[in-house]
Amino acid sequence: MSLSGVAAIAGIGATEFSKESGRSELQLSAEATLAALADAGLEASDVDGLTTFTMDSTAEIALARELGMGELRFFSRINYGGGAACGTVQQAAMAVATGVADVVVAYRGFNERSGHRFGQVQGAAAAQANTNGLDNAWTYPYGLSTPAATVAMQARRYMHEYGATSEDFGRVAVADRRHAATNPNAFFYEKPITLEDHQSSRMIADPLRLLDCCQESDGGVAIVVTSTERARDLKAGAVPIVAAAQGSAPDQFVMTSYFRDDLGIPEIGVVGRELWRQSGLSPDDIDTAVLYDHFTPYVLMQLEELGFCATGEAKDFIADGAIEIGGRLPLNTHGGQLGEAYIHGMNGIAEAVRQVRGTSVNQVAGARHVLVTAGTGVPTSGLILGT
Amino acid sequence: MSDLQERFDEIKARGYAEAREGADPVNEPMIRHWAEAIGDTNPRWQPGPDCEAPPAMAQVWTMPGLVAERPPGEPLWDTMVALDDAGYTSVLGTNCDQTYARTLRPGERVSISSRLDDVVGPKQTGVGEGYFVTTRNTWTVDGEEVATMLFRVLKFKPGTGRPTVDRTKLVRPMVNRDSAFFWEGTAAGELRIQKCNACGELRHPPGPVCPSCHAMDRGYVVASGRGAVHSFLEHHAPQVPGKQLPLTIALIELDEGVRMVGEVPAGVAIGDAMEVWFDRIDDELTLAQWRPVGTAPAEPEPEPASDLPVWELPITPTLVVSTALATRDFQDVHHDRDLAQSHGSKDIFLNILTTTGLVQRYVTDWSGPQTQVLSCALRLGAPAHPYDTLRFTGEIVSEDDGVTTIDVTGRVSLGNHVNARLEVRR
Repeated sequence: MSLSGVAAIAGIGATEFSKESGRSELQLSAEATLAALADAGLEASDVDGLTTFTMDSTAEIALARELGMGELRFFSRINYGGGAACGTVQQAAMAVATGVADVVVAYRGFNERSGHRFGQVQGAAAAQANTNGLDNAWTYPYGLSTPAATVAMQARRYMHEYGATSEDFGRVAVADRRHAATNPNAFFYEKPITLEDHQSSRMIADPLRLLDCCQESDGGVAIVVTSTERARDLKAGAVPIVAAAQGSAPDQFVMTSYFRDDLGIPEIGVVGRELWRQSGLSPDDIDTAVLYDHFTPYVLMQLEELGFCATGEAKDFIADGAIEIGGRLPLNTHGGQLGEAYIHGMNGIAEAVRQVRGTSVNQVAGARHVLVTAGTGVPTSGLILGT
Repeated sequence: MSDLQERFDEIKARGYAEAREGADPVNEPMIRHWAEAIGDTNPRWQPGPDCEAPPAMAQVWTMPGLVAERPPGEPLWDTMVALDDAGYTSVLGTNCDQTYARTLRPGERVSISSRLDDVVGPKQTGVGEGYFVTTRNTWTVDGEEVATMLFRVLKFKPGTGRPTVDRTKLVRPMVNRDSAFFWEGTAAGELRIQKCNACGELRHPPGPVCPSCHAMDRGYVVASGRGAVHSFLEHHAPQVPGKQLPLTIALIELDEGVRMVGEVPAGVAIGDAMEVWFDRIDDELTLAQWRPVGTAPAEPEPEPASDLPVWELPITPTLVVSTALATRDFQDVHHDRDLAQSHGSKDIFLNILTTTGLVQRYVTDWSGPQTQVLSCALRLGAPAHPYDTLRFTGEIVSEDDGVTTIDVTGRVSLGNHVNARLEVRR
C-alpha cells in the first residue's frame, strides 16, 4: 500500500498577511478555510475531517461550529511548532487514503505579530509541565531562549565546519525578497534587498542578522485535501500529494538538538529519504522547492540534507543565483517566510500548489514536481506535490 | 550657554538663602521617636532634664513636613525644579558630609540656610545621564552656627543608564526527579554527569532510563569541570529576563564527552579550553557557567579587618518606614513600595538621614555614650532594601589630639551601601 498520489490538494485559501489582523485567530482560520473551500468548489458541509498544529489556538470543533460543519469523522493535531506544517497535510492525506474521511481541511491561523510573538523569549516553553519543559531547562536559564539564538548556535558550528559565511546566509534572504518583491500578497511586495542590505542589518543573535530571520506575521492559511480522483472533478482540479513524510532523528530535541554528534538537522534528512522513497523521485526531478526559511542557515543545511548538494556545499550551490527565479532550483518563489509572511509554513504549501497549477506570480515554467518542507530544527515534515 | 546653565548660575549667584526656621523646636518626643526607630539607646537621648539631641538629627529639625510648601527661593529646591523641567527627574543621594559644633537641647529653635555650591554635568553615570548638584547648608540657633552639611545628589534622566538587570528574574529550569541531582550538584559546587550504574555510560541531559542498556539504575560522576567550546553565539535582541545583553552563550564539550550549554565571556572561539564555575543566582538556583581556563577572577577583596565589632542589621520594612518618618522624610520611596517600584526601584529603601543615624549609632555604641561626634562624611552607594542585611565594619584611621578618625563601611548584598568617615572625641 502506498500513499503516493492517492490524495490531492483540491483547494487553498488564505487571509491577507499583515502585522495586525485586527480579528481573532478563530476568525482567521475560518476565513482561510472558507477561501480554500471556495477555491475547491466545496461547501463547509462537505468537510468531515480537520487537522492543525498542536500550537494552534483554534480547536477543530470551534472551527466546525463556526462554519456550520456537520459531523467530523477525523481530527488530529501535529506537535513541534512549524515542523507540523506538511505533517497536517500528511494527516489529511492518510485519512483520505484510508477512507476514514472524504474531505479534510488542514488549517493554521494566528496573530503571531500582534499577539503572541514567537521571536520573543518563550518563557512558557520552559514552564511546560512535560518533557519539553524539562528539555528547555538545559538552555533557557542560561539565556538561550529565542528561536534565533538556538539556530545561531548551529549556524556558528556550520560556518566553522564548512566555511560558510554570513554572506552565504544573506543570499537566501536576497532570493526570498526578490521573489516577494513581485508577489502582491507578500508583506515585502516591491521591497527587494541587496546583499549589502543584509550585511548591514543589525545583529540579533550573532552570527544571525535581522535579515536572516523571518518575519512575524498575522494571518491564516487552509488547505483542502480529498482523494485525487474526486479532486480531478472539482473546480480547481487536483494537485496530487506525491509524497508526504515526517521525520525525527536520534537524540532529537526541539530547536536544541545540541547533544548529538552532528549539530545539523538530520531530521530533515529523514523526511527527504522518505519523500524520495514514496515518490520514486530524486532531487534532479524537483523543479522548484519551498524550503522552510524561518532562519536562512537552515535553508543551506536543508539543501544538503535533502540531497540537492553534498554536505557543506550548499554555499556553492546557491552562489550563482541558482535559488532565484530562472536558476537551477528556484526556492520560495512566493517570497518565503522572510518575504511573504510567516504562517508557520502553511503559506509555502499553498505556493507549491500554485506552482503545480501553473498560477504562481513567479511561475517556474513547466513545474511538475515541487518539494515543500516544514519547520527545521524540530521534528519536521515535508511534501512532494506534482502532476 | 544653555538655559539650564543660566538657571544654575542665577541660583548660585544668590548665595545663601534667607534662613528658614524649622517647624518645631528641638523636642523630646521627636528625639525619643528617632532613638527608638534607629535603635540608639544612648542615655543622653533619653527624656529628662539632661536630654540632648543626637547630632545625626541636625537635619531632622528643618525637614519640610508632609504637606509643607517649599519656601520660594530655596536653592536646592529651585535647582531640582530646573532639572525636573529638563527631564532629569530621578534623584540619588551621593554625598552627605556633616559637621557638628555641639549637641542641641530641647527648646532650641534651629534654622537652616542653604546655597547652591556647584552643578556638574551632564555626565553619563551608571544610573543614567545626570547632574551632580552640591549644596552647602548651615544650621544656626539664634545666629550661632551649630552644624553644617555639604550635600550632593545626582539628578538623572530615568531610563538613560545601563539597564539594571535583576538576575533572579531569569527563566528558571523545570526540575523533576530525573534532573534534581544535577541542580543539587550545582548548588553544592559540583558539576554532575549522569552515569548508568549498569553499563557506565555517561549522559547529558539526563533521563530515567539508560538509552544504551535500558537499566534504570542511575548515578552520577562529578565532572572534571574542563571542556572546550563546541559552538557559541552572541545574543543581542530581544531582551532576555535576568540577563545583561549582549550575552555570549556557548555549547561546551566536556572532557568527559557530554555537552552542556552555559554562559561564557565575550570573545571566545570554537575550540577554546574552558573551565566551569558556579553562578549562584539565589537560594533556589545555581547555574554552571564557563570561562576560559586560567581566567579565574581574582578572589573578591577580603573584607578588611574591623577594629570595631561587626554589626549586622537586618533591614525590615518596619525599619525603613519607621526611620523615614522619625527623620521626617516623607519621600514616597521610603515608605510606599508600589511608588518606589514605579520609580524604578526594587523596593523601598533607607533614607540618608537614617544611614547617618545608623553609622553614628554604630560608632558610639562602640566608643561609649559620652562620645562627641564632630563630623560625619558619607559616600552613598547601593540602596539598602528590606530583607537585606546591612553589615557594618569600622576601622580606626588615626587618633590625634583626642580626635579619633574612623572609617565605617556598611555593606548590603548589592555592594557597599555607605562609606563613611567620622571624627569623634571620646
